[in-house]
Amino acid sequence: MRFVTKVLFTMAILVLGLPASAAREVSVSELVENGREFADEEVVVSGELVGDYGFRADGRMWTQLNSDGYSSDPLRESRSPEGGNVGIGVRMPVDMASGLDSPGGYRERGPLVTMTGVWRFHDEARQGESYFEAAALIVVKDGRQLTQDPNWLTILLGAGLILTSTVVWRRGLRG
Amino acid sequence: MLVRPVAEDFRLIGFYLGRIFLVVAGASLLPLIWAGVAREWHPFGSFLLMVGIFALLGVMGTNLRPEEPRLNWSHGMVVVALTWLLVPLVGAIPLLLSGHFGRPLDAFFDAMSGLTTTGLSLLGDVDHLASSLNFWRHLLQFLGGQGIILAALSIFAGTGGITLYFGEARDERILPSVTSTARFIWAVSVVHLIFGVISLGIIGWLLLGFDLDRALFHGLMTFFAGFDTGGFSPQSTSIGYYHSAVYEAFTSVLMVAGAMSFGLHYALWRGRRRAVFANLETRTILSTFGFTMLLTLIGLATTGLFTTVAGLTRQGFFQILSAHTGTGFATVSSSELSQWGGLAFGGMAIAMALGGMGSSTAGGVKSLRIGLTIKAVVNQIRQVLLPEHAVVGTAYHQSGRKHLTADLTQSVMIVSLLYVALYLLGAGVALAYGIPLQDALFESVSASANVGLSVGVTSPTMPVLLEIVYIAQMWAGRLEFVAVFSLLGFIYASVRGR
Repeated sequence: MRFVTKVLFTMAILVLGLPASAAREVSVSELVENGREFADEEVVVSGELVGDYGFRADGRMWTQLNSDGYSSDPLRESRSPEGGNVGIGVRMPVDMASGLDSPGGYRERGPLVTMTGVWRFHDEARQGESYFEAAALIVVKDGRQLTQDPNWLTILLGAGLILTSTVVWRRGLRG
Repeated sequence: MLVRPVAEDFRLIGFYLGRIFLVVAGASLLPLIWAGVAREWHPFGSFLLMVGIFALLGVMGTNLRPEEPRLNWSHGMVVVALTWLLVPLVGAIPLLLSGHFGRPLDAFFDAMSGLTTTGLSLLGDVDHLASSLNFWRHLLQFLGGQGIILAALSIFAGTGGITLYFGEARDERILPSVTSTARFIWAVSVVHLIFGVISLGIIGWLLLGFDLDRALFHGLMTFFAGFDTGGFSPQSTSIGYYHSAVYEAFTSVLMVAGAMSFGLHYALWRGRRRAVFANLETRTILSTFGFTMLLTLIGLATTGLFTTVAGLTRQGFFQILSAHTGTGFATVSSSELSQWGGLAFGGMAIAMALGGMGSSTAGGVKSLRIGLTIKAVVNQIRQVLLPEHAVVGTAYHQSGRKHLTADLTQSVMIVSLLYVALYLLGAGVALAYGIPLQDALFESVSASANVGLSVGVTSPTMPVLLEIVYIAQMWAGRLEFVAVFSLLGFIYASVRGR
């Protein structure tokens, strides 16, 4: 899946002329683990937008970019937990965020995007917060609905146990 | 000679466990209703199953009907220890069925972590977790922080309630009866809940630009985890997710409120501010907070991670407050936390180990014990230095004038030493698995003191034995040992007694 993402990204750069010439591509986990190394550097990152889109009064939107096994292969489909998420905060101009599909959550796999921007490591202007300041964004893959069918077995078992509890309780009352 | 428990002992314990399970079954209806309203039908089934199991266990227990339903100290402690083992065991069912855990033990780990308000987690992909499951994880922290037993005591009084109350690591009775004390604690919590959720909801909606329903959701989750010093978060980046100094400030207020003893809350409610600051415990926690904060800030300054005083102070203050109150929220990643070597690491580890106040939702050794230990040591030194017949004052102020007796000193020292032993136990096991000393110690203290900050040792790939040790540390640390030892003694007596 990562190969496909890279191919799509390269094609997108060629077609849209994303200013990526000076920016090196890094993974979110590299930024999380060695954030200082990339401080104030222009980089390209890819992943899934998750959580919320927080549109603030200063004309910026904040969200979270995850790049882990779940962003390419949702857990509900792969059924293979691989530990925690790997994510960073992202800030972008509000107009860049317009038209994005809903961020990832229980019901949605968020849009997979590739962004060029600057990694702000313990930014002075924001009292030491670390985040990615996006300057350009490409949607590599639209978001989509995630579904999960009811588990009828647990529903039946649960209802049966509650019914049994009621019977046992009534018998107890009679002594 | 050990006396082997008889059938009546088991009936009595089962009866009280049954009552508590019924209360927990009632509380479990909340995530069930949440899942139904949110139309999250898969978790709905899991919650229904959990409610059914709690209800059945509850009814079976209460049907045991002992001849004399009066709990003695030993029975009460066994009930408390078993409650804190069995509730997370059943409470882990919805977590396990969610598919977000690799093995059943991981789900139990998270449920225990939630109930003991630790906040360490093995959950995979929290960012795509159903809202009802997130609610259940956080509600577990609320139930654990307040004390499940306390919840039960608010509803049924019964004889022996005092034993259960103290068994849950609460050492002061604020009002004359245990039931009224329990109800007061719930009243304080509900007031904070309303204040916390509304404040954080408004901040999330108006300042952070979230949709109103999401802002309230985040507010509720942050309240549960902040006030109950739990540290879970609905997003993987913890409080760093919000990128807001205002949100952090309000969260800090909740963490401080959670780490304060309910006795102190009562004094503040009654307007006794001067008495609050005269308390040994208040003075101790202010001193240790100042000391560990200074250590951490100096340590962080030497790392060169922060280039401004504002950044250093904001980030340093939040992490150290989170560590000292035993909450476990973070605004920096685990990877970065593990790079805080030297003084910053020392400051954080000491803050976690010391913990909050007694009779609060926080873990750790607790400030009153630290204060009394320091007082005992100082008295001992003065006794040596002064003439042989000189009398050294033993008075201290803690909700009134009290005296530091030899018995009190001994019990304080024993519990403090047990905490140190617990910290070393987990660190030793982690070391045996080749984890570096600093990380091993940090994670072990975090688990035992029910903090939840992590440098990355806690992960689904961690060795099973280490996972079991952390579970035991969270359990023993939360109950402050007495109930755990009572249960072990009861089991031993059942096997070897006559």
